[in-house]
Amino acid sequence: HQVLRVVPTSHEELQRLQELQGLEHLELDFWLAPHDLGSPVDIRVPFPSLQPIKAHLEASGVSYSIMIEDVQELLDEEQREMIRSSRRLPLSTNTFNYEAYHTLDEIYAFMDMLVAENPNLVSKLEIGRSTENRPLYVLKFSTGGSKRPAVWIDTGIHSREWVTQASGVWFAKKIVEDHANNEGVASILDTMDIFLEIVTNPDGFAYTHSTNRLWRKTRSKHSGSICVGVDPNRNWDAGFGGSGASGNPCMETYRGPYPNSEPEVKSIVDFVKAHGNIKAFVSIHSYSQLLLYPYGYTTTPAPDQQELHELSAKAVAALSSLYGTKYKYGSIITTIYKASGGTIDWTYNQGIKYSFTFELRDTGRYGFLLPAKQIVPTAEETWLALKVIMEHARDNMY
Amino acid sequence: IPDFGHKYYLQFSTEDYRTGENAGSCLATVLYPRKKSPPVVSIKCSHTKDQNEIQEEDNRLYQRIRQQSKPITGSNIPDSHGNIEPALEPAWALAVAGSSSIMWEKSTEDLGYFLAQVKSVKQWMRKDDFIEFDYTVLLHEMPTQEMISCHMRLTWLPGHPLKVKHFCASQSHGLEEGSGLGSGSAAGLSEERGANF
Repeated sequence: HQVLRVVPTSHEELQRLQELQGLEHLELDFWLAPHDLGSPVDIRVPFPSLQPIKAHLEASGVSYSIMIEDVQELLDEEQREMIRSSRRLPLSTNTFNYEAYHTLDEIYAFMDMLVAENPNLVSKLEIGRSTENRPLYVLKFSTGGSKRPAVWIDTGIHSREWVTQASGVWFAKKIVEDHANNEGVASILDTMDIFLEIVTNPDGFAYTHSTNRLWRKTRSKHSGSICVGVDPNRNWDAGFGGSGASGNPCMETYRGPYPNSEPEVKSIVDFVKAHGNIKAFVSIHSYSQLLLYPYGYTTTPAPDQQELHELSAKAVAALSSLYGTKYKYGSIITTIYKASGGTIDWTYNQGIKYSFTFELRDTGRYGFLLPAKQIVPTAEETWLALKVIMEHARDNMY
Repeated sequence: IPDFGHKYYLQFSTEDYRTGENAGSCLATVLYPRKKSPPVVSIKCSHTKDQNEIQEEDNRLYQRIRQQSKPITGSNIPDSHGNIEPALEPAWALAVAGSSSIMWEKSTEDLGYFLAQVKSVKQWMRKDDFIEFDYTVLLHEMPTQEMISCHMRLTWLPGHPLKVKHFCASQSHGLEEGSGLGSGSAAGLSEERGANF
């Protein structure tokens, strides 16, 4: 197939071209239809009609040019280009697209690149394997020392909360940048380590890409039920079994058969216990725009309630200062709802005083399906709040 | 209120769903009787837009939909990345309005909803001037975190209240995706006279 271009310079030529439109048996495809003098007319001509059309135009004295010699070749080239560009992985964390959502493989590749580019600051730890045997990776940011007091941040524990994993990726890069520029969290890294688990629930995350974008839980199977998955934020050993979680495997808040039944949860429990020196623990979710502290399983106020409340106020103020995003804050049970077996209730009871949960943007308009262009603004504002918490932990060692 | 139920006094502001502009404020009381019957609501709102402006916008939306030469169909709105195709925005906007009517009916003192996603939309062409859409919408239920699948049939003509019929899958959860295969709920299509939500 070729694409011919004719520029009609007389009404007669224009008329001839218009007549061609009616000759259906030629199967001409007008990419630009004839409408007035001087305006180009582009016609895709199938092979069988090429000879007759060219002969007709020449016989009528209508001049034409061949715009596209071979349409199929163009299509093939486009196809090749598309395959090439989809396989084109970013060559460094500087060319990585932070303004888009990524697949599990892309995020895992990002982690390796980040470590390779900053071997003296970043290392990758495998803290366990998921139900479907995917590695559970934690990035460790450290300038040295041995078992320094540390901050833990996790994102993506609920797989459908895509803005959280995306923010985690941004945080990782931000930590490296701050360190390189000796600003921001560089001072925190002088005395503390940061642990960041970006994809805390990789099985669920893979499932949100392959099958169900709104999947929340893990992907574990349980005898006696055809339903799959446990809510990893109801599987911790804090108020386990109480109301605020479901005993039904088919529900989104299924607590699991017993605490830490989920390897995604157990691996963090083991890590925290083995480390023994984590001072701040932040678990990140979406959506609702909230900053929460313990407890979720009981109305009994946490002993450090006042300090946590004041710290939350400061963190939220810092967050809002960037784009005006409004957050509410308070204990889980008074601010959102009763929830048992939750992450930060367990970490708090382990003695990690600065235990917080974030619920990032938005407040329901897009919910889990937050447009990608909001990833970076969300990560930026959240980071300001995280810094407040980390700095407070650093300045109030216990 | 002892032996009766809970009464809530609310003051809230509203914003345009599309633009985020302030759209007025409201004062309301909501009374939930102890027995599970629908709440008693009284509400009064001030609007920042006048009737003419609202009518004009309604007409513009209506024309935008009527001008399409082919019936509007679509799925997964927004998509996984939060994108809404411009051509599907009007259908999405009507889904938001229609879903709010479902949520109005379903919510209780303990259960609230958000529209998570429009799974599918199909326009039915009518001989009269009314616009008609068939939807499958996913409602995010709080605090249970469940995704409730609802089928919604919506008809509209500017100047008339939105007419919404819906049927939500009951919590079968035998299969993932909340396909709700005929799990014995006898709830038929309930007609909802849309007041000016």
